[in-house]
Amino acid sequence: MSDRRIPRLLQTPAVVLLLIWMLVPLSMTLYFSFIRYVLNSLRRPEWTKPSIENWRGFGNYEFVLNSKDFLLAIQNSLLIVCSILFLTVILGVLIAVLINKAFPGQGIVRVLLISPFFVMPAVNAVLWINMILDPVLGLQGVAVEGINGLLDALRMTPVIGNFFGMWPELQPISFRATQTSAWAVIIMVTWQWTPFAVLIFMTSLQSEDQQQKEAAILDGASTWSQFRFLTLPHLGRPIAIVVMIQAIFHLSLYAEIEIVSRGNGNKNLPYLIGEFANNNIGAASATGIFAVILANIVAIFLLRMVGKTLME
Amino acid sequence: MAIVAHTSKSSRFGRPVLAWIVGLLFFFPIFWLVLTSFKTDADAVKPEFLIWFTPTLENYLNMTDNYDYWRFAQNSVITSVLATVFTLAVGIPSAYAMAFNPTRATKDILMWMLSTKMLPAAAVLYPMTFLAKSLGLFDTHFLIVLVLSLINLPIVVWMLFTYFKEIPKDIIEAGKMDGVNTWGEIREILIPLAWGGIASTALLCFIFCWNEAYWTVRLTTIDAATLSKLIEGNRAPEGLFFGRLSAVSTAAIAPIVVLGWFCQKQLVQGLTFGAVK
Repeated sequence: MSDRRIPRLLQTPAVVLLLIWMLVPLSMTLYFSFIRYVLNSLRRPEWTKPSIENWRGFGNYEFVLNSKDFLLAIQNSLLIVCSILFLTVILGVLIAVLINKAFPGQGIVRVLLISPFFVMPAVNAVLWINMILDPVLGLQGVAVEGINGLLDALRMTPVIGNFFGMWPELQPISFRATQTSAWAVIIMVTWQWTPFAVLIFMTSLQSEDQQQKEAAILDGASTWSQFRFLTLPHLGRPIAIVVMIQAIFHLSLYAEIEIVSRGNGNKNLPYLIGEFANNNIGAASATGIFAVILANIVAIFLLRMVGKTLME
Repeated sequence: MAIVAHTSKSSRFGRPVLAWIVGLLFFFPIFWLVLTSFKTDADAVKPEFLIWFTPTLENYLNMTDNYDYWRFAQNSVITSVLATVFTLAVGIPSAYAMAFNPTRATKDILMWMLSTKMLPAAAVLYPMTFLAKSLGLFDTHFLIVLVLSLINLPIVVWMLFTYFKEIPKDIIEAGKMDGVNTWGEIREILIPLAWGGIASTALLCFIFCWNEAYWTVRLTTIDAATLSKLIEGNRAPEGLFFGRLSAVSTAAIAPIVVLGWFCQKQLVQGLTFGAVK
């Protein structure tokens, strides 16, 4: 019957396109992950062409698992994603509750607050790492110098000078260093995505049952228990959605890491793959397969959790 | 009301003040970027000119000489517009079919589409580069449009689906009774009714295309390079070019941020796939 066929025909282009998009490159990755394949090799020129002759079995996977960067990259991926999720949800709930009630200029505050969400990631990273977090030339450097100058002046003053003499000189933090660059990434992405969480939580708060709340107030419920037993359960669903959507975006975080540190000790999985892909395609592909597996674990977990609420 | 009388003075004044502080804090980095863009490169790194300085437009006037800004901007506009149009052209019929003629597989297809979005792009980085180069498509508008369309298609179908679901089926059925064909239904009934939803979807798709920074950086060199590539290529000015870099960054984000101001509510809500109302 044409009645059934036309709708199916209509969704064919989207389904076919996505199927090709998913299957073709991914099967190539799978294939490359089982062969020896490098871009440049003077010693073994036969490895520079993808060929089944260069079959390596699980050799690439072994190589990747044994490289010290791999574990670090997984740790870093998880550290970055989890920290961002944790911070954006906490800050998002607090700020949404704060600005939910009408006050003078609420509309303007909303516009100010949402702006970071629309900044392109490349600009976000360049702006934070240079103009703000740079230990010498950025605002951080200027602020640290200013505070140190003030402390010096206070040390000179009689009487209280002794007290301030015990204070240490402040040291600016270099956010391009190995140990700190992940935090720079977390700060800038949290800045960008907290507004998203705030707006979603605010939308949800507006549908909160006001009568229930008034009844709670009349019963003498404290602000805290109102929040704990009424507001927070009401926000359960939007929190799950914020977590899911952000996980989708942050597992493939790349520009920020590239710009902050060029992966200097702060590699996540996408960055590590990019690095391998400069020469060792076999290893890059094996890492890619690991990244797919990790993403799938997260995806199954999240879609189980949120999928049902999306479908109602 | 008694309840209002109970609210203490501190919360009546404290809350708005705190809210304003939070809003200004979040906006501050953008403000700082714009402010720095009006300083000369030399002034931009001198603490004595932190706030009081002689504003100059030279960074904006020299944007073409310094960075060839307009060429990258043109590429961003071309690729984002074309990708948005293409994604909608594929997405609207598909979402229409799913919303009004759902089959048993519809839910699974939708979930599968969303799951393709979770596939890490990096996993297929080399195959994509390889395919692009062997097909002679590397660094072309065509390739970037195609890739941008494909990565946004799942979200676009989802958003459209949730908007279309709100339309009563009867209206579409009535059209069928009148003997309108499928194409007519989409054009005459669906698009006018769901106009707001389609517009928000298009805007969000456009914003994601404009801001995309993985494929646009990895699959271009010069010809199809977008603003993301331009900024990424100038990531480490080492304090020498803070002024001019701020200006070009401001110019890169301004269209999207301003666009975002006007439709923030629809955009963010759309991104939750109608699950938060």
